[in-house]
Order: sequence, then structure tokens, then C-alpha cells
Amino acid sequence: MSNPVTIIMIEDDEGHARLIERNIRRSGVNNEIKPFTNGTAALDYLFGKDGTGLDHKGNALLILLDLNLPDTTGIDILKRVKENKYLKATPVVVLTTTDDSQEIKRCYELGCNVYITKPVNYESFANAIRQLGLFFSVIQVPPAAT
Amino acid sequence: MLVAISVTSVLLVNKARDASGLVVHTVEVESQLSNLLLEIRRAESATRAYLLTSAPQFLAEYETAAANILPAADQLAKITSDNPVQVQNYAKLRAAIEHRLTEFARGIDRIKNNDVATSVKVLREGTATGAVRAIAEAGRDMRAEEDRLFALRTQAADRAQVLASSVTIAGSGLVIALAGFSVFLVRRSSRARDEAETKLRDNNLNLEAAIDERTADLREANDEIQRFAYIVSHDLRSPLVNIMGFTSELEELRSDIFRRIATLSREQSDSPLVPENATDTAEPLLEGADKQLSEDFTEALGFIKSSIGKMDRLISAILNLTREGRREFQPVRIDTRELMEGIVSTVAHQVAEAQANILIGELPQIVSDRLALEQIFSNLIDNALKYLKTGVPGEITVRGRTKLGFAIFELSDNGRGIDPKDHRRIFELFRRAGTQDKPGQGIGLAHVRALVRRLGGTMSVASELHQGSTFTITLPINWSAKRNTEKR
Repeated sequence: MSNPVTIIMIEDDEGHARLIERNIRRSGVNNEIKPFTNGTAALDYLFGKDGTGLDHKGNALLILLDLNLPDTTGIDILKRVKENKYLKATPVVVLTTTDDSQEIKRCYELGCNVYITKPVNYESFANAIRQLGLFFSVIQVPPAAT
Repeated sequence: MLVAISVTSVLLVNKARDASGLVVHTVEVESQLSNLLLEIRRAESATRAYLLTSAPQFLAEYETAAANILPAADQLAKITSDNPVQVQNYAKLRAAIEHRLTEFARGIDRIKNNDVATSVKVLREGTATGAVRAIAEAGRDMRAEEDRLFALRTQAADRAQVLASSVTIAGSGLVIALAGFSVFLVRRSSRARDEAETKLRDNNLNLEAAIDERTADLREANDEIQRFAYIVSHDLRSPLVNIMGFTSELEELRSDIFRRIATLSREQSDSPLVPENATDTAEPLLEGADKQLSEDFTEALGFIKSSIGKMDRLISAILNLTREGRREFQPVRIDTRELMEGIVSTVAHQVAEAQANILIGELPQIVSDRLALEQIFSNLIDNALKYLKTGVPGEITVRGRTKLGFAIFELSDNGRGIDPKDHRRIFELFRRAGTQDKPGQGIGLAHVRALVRRLGGTMSVASELHQGSTFTITLPINWSAKRNTEKR
């Protein structure tokens, strides 16, 4: 990525997080990856202490989001990110096990940019993540709150 | 009871009439007796008058009276023949009368011969001899007897009448009481019926409410199960991704490790170094114990991966089933024969491979969900093709008929058949039966049965091992979505 984009990875399963990180690295993406294992911590980081998201003004972020989280649903996080005036331009990639068509539709309606179902087959999984990494390396990410 | 009373009443009335008849009879006897005595007196007085005057008209009178006496006596005898006392009395009377009559006749004869003195004497003798007295006595006796009988019979008649009338009154009273009682009973039963009707109506309403409640409960429970299955299968997937992922990572590590081992052992034995970059993907050459280790490692990983694959297929199957369970059915008119032909054309390749032949008979038109029907029949036809007897040309027939608002479909094959003890098992999820030489998850029939049930139908199997199988599916001809949406 041209500018220093931080990848925010919200994934409660540490194993998944590790596999995702490894495969992204294998595709040659060396950006900082900030892992969060629950929704609350991720929201605290994203919206800052005042809850406005002002902290990230001018930062370029990319969010990797799992929908099944222990404390909140990924849908809520997606909704709040897309409703925040500083963060709404941030690309959100939903990466989850759910392949329910209703869920997918809902995510896109809420402004998710990419929806990927985690394949159980590791070949496909690794492949998908590597392609995602390749995608990250060409994507243009706007800084927050332009 | 009433019949008994009526019969008694009739009997009593008859008895009363008989009693009255007897009373009348007694009166008759008395009058006859009086008549007889009167005639005797007439004869006597006529005799006397003739004796005094010798006038011929008295003679004529005497003769008439005398002629009347015996028939009158006979008459009396006839009507008193039923009473032994009277018969005895009558005998006495008769004897006296006959005696008297002879005396009269003698008296008259004397007079005719102008022997008045003798005649008077005869008559006087007669009076003195007691024939008159006997007549009077017998007459009195008879009268007394008849009086006694009269009193007795009058009493009996009265009693009989009183009895008859009281029985009749009692009967009438009873009839009135019974009528009143039955009116009361009818009233009471109609009131009870009204109450029961009201109760029934209430109960029906309650029942409907209860059914609605239960249905809602069941629906909720069913939804709960669906959700549960969905969530469970979903959440099981997540760790599976890790297991699979890190197994693959281990596999990568394994090749790295054994490459290192190979390099190291070669270094030790001073064999030529294999250039690392050139053999990145190639298997490193290993020897002896190292080779064995590597193979064991590969075997273990292989089992882990195949198990994960199987588990993944099962989870996917459950997910698909729950998804099917949540799909809304759309009832449309379906020409099932056309549908069946469509299914058969999609399996034409397998049919040719199995040297099988599918015969489709006349099939009814029904209103149902098209996709569900396709899944039901294609699963069954798939099964039929899959489990044919090896080396025997397959023969699969599809027949249909309608009965009482239901369409009945029969799919028969000449395949390997199913042992009757497995007939239940084959409809269970993840269960299979018979020789396990074909791939499968044990889902098809469970899925088919679930669909048939949701469409308001039933299915059953008739089969013997090596004798082929017949699957029978009964579906409502007019399945309405209304009932469906009501349920959901």
C-alpha cells in the first residue's frame, strides 16, 4: 500500500487471526496489523476515548471484521463505523464463517466493501487471504475524515 | 306397569259385569218363582171357583193356569240348575206342585162328575196333607236362598265394581303421574342438553385456543431447534477452520523439518549437498528410520485432514438442511410427469452407465412446491440408480394415482433392496444401511422425509433384501400455502 495503512483485524478466534496474519504476510503485505479479539476493545480503539473517532483523523485504516464476536456482533461495529463521519470512508472487509445470503445482503446494505466467507478447506482459505493481501496491496485507502 | 293395570282393569270390569249378570239372574229366578207360585194360586183359585160355581169359564182358566205351571216350573228348573241348593229345593217344590196338580185334577174330575162333596174333601185334604204347605215352604226356601244369593251377589258385584273403578282410577292417576313425570324428564333432559351444548361450545373455543397455543409452542420449539442447529453447525465451523489451517501449517513445517533432517544427515555422511533452492518442492531423500518417521507423520496428517473433511461435509449438510427448513414454500400447479421427465433427463448419464431403464407412468397434477418436489424425486431416483444390483440391468418405474384428495406416488426398482430391520434407520439423519460401497452422507432420505412432511404428506418404504424397493409418497393434491403460513 502506498501510504501507511493500518489494518485493524477484529477476530475473536486467535487461531484464525494467526492464520489470517500469516497468509497476508505471505502475500507480501507488510503493513501494521492491529489485532482485537473482542468488539469492545476494537470500538474503544476505533472511536477513541471521546467516542467520536476524532483520534484517527487523517489516519488511513482498513478494517477486517468477523461477524461472530463474543461481546457484540460485527454488524453493530460495521453500522457504527459507517455512521461515523470520520470513519465512514474506511474500507471494511467482512471475513466470517457465515454464508447466509440474508446476512451477506445486510452487510452490503450497511456499507461493507467486501464480504468473504472463510472456507474450511485450508487451501481455499489460504488462497482467499493471499488474494485479499494482493488486493490490499493495490487498494487506495483514503485517510479518515477528509 | 301400565299394561298390568289395564289388564287388571279389563279383568275387573269383566268380573263386575259377570257379577251384575248374576244379580240379574237372581232377580230373574225370583220373578220366575213368583210367576210359578202365582200360576199355582191361579189354578187353585180357579179350581175353587169351579168347585163352587161349576162355571165352565173357571174350568178354562184352571186349564190355562195348570198348563202354565209345568213350563214355568221347567223354566225355573232350568235357570236354577247352577245352584245345588236350589236344585234340591226345586225338587221338593216340583214334587209338591205335581202332587197339588194331581189334587186339582182329581178335584176337577169329581166336579165334572158332580161329586162336589168329594172334590171339596179332596181339596181340603190337599190343604191338610201339606202339599200347599210344601209348596209354600219350598217357595219360601227358594226365595230365601235367592235372597241370600242376591245379597251375596250384589255385594260381590259392588265389590267388583268398586275394585274395578278404584283400579281404573289408580291407573288413570298413574297415567297422569307418568305423563307429568315424563314431561319433567323431557324438560330436564332438554335443559341438560342445552347446558351440554353451551359447554361444548365453550370447550370447542377453549380447545381451539389450546390448540393455537400448543401450535405456537411447537412452532417456537421447532424454530428454536432450527436456530440451534444453525448456530451449532456454524460455531463448529470456526474451530474446524483452525484445525484445518494449522494442520496445513504443520504439513508445511513437516516438509521443512524433514528437509533439514535430510540435509543434516547428508552433511554427516559427507554426501553431496542438495542445493536447497532447487529442491524446494521436491521430497528430500531420506533413509531408514528418518523415512519411517516421515511416513508416519504424513499418515497422521492424512487421517486428520480426511476427518476434518468429513466433519466439514456433515456440518455443511446440517447447514443446508436448516436452510431448507427455513425456506418458504410456494404452492404452484405442477405436472408431475413433466417434472419427473425433467429429473430423469438430468440423470441420463448415470442411467446409461448403469444400463438402467426408467419407466414413467401416468402421474397426477398437484399443487405443491416445485423445488421441494424436485428434491424429493431426484433424491429417490438418485438412490434407485445408486443402489442397483451390479450386473443386473436396472428397472425403475414411477407410478401415480389419486385417492381422497391425496396423490400417491410409487417408485419401484429392482435394486439391492433394504433389510426390513433397516427400514426405520434409512430415514434417520447420517444413517445408512446395507453394503457401504457408495459415497454418501446419509442425508438424502432424511431430507426427503422432512420435505414430504412439510408438504403435508407421508412416505414409507416396502422392501426386502435383494428384492428391490418401493418408496411410496403420499402428498395432498391441493397443498395450500395458507396452511403453511398459518403454521409458520
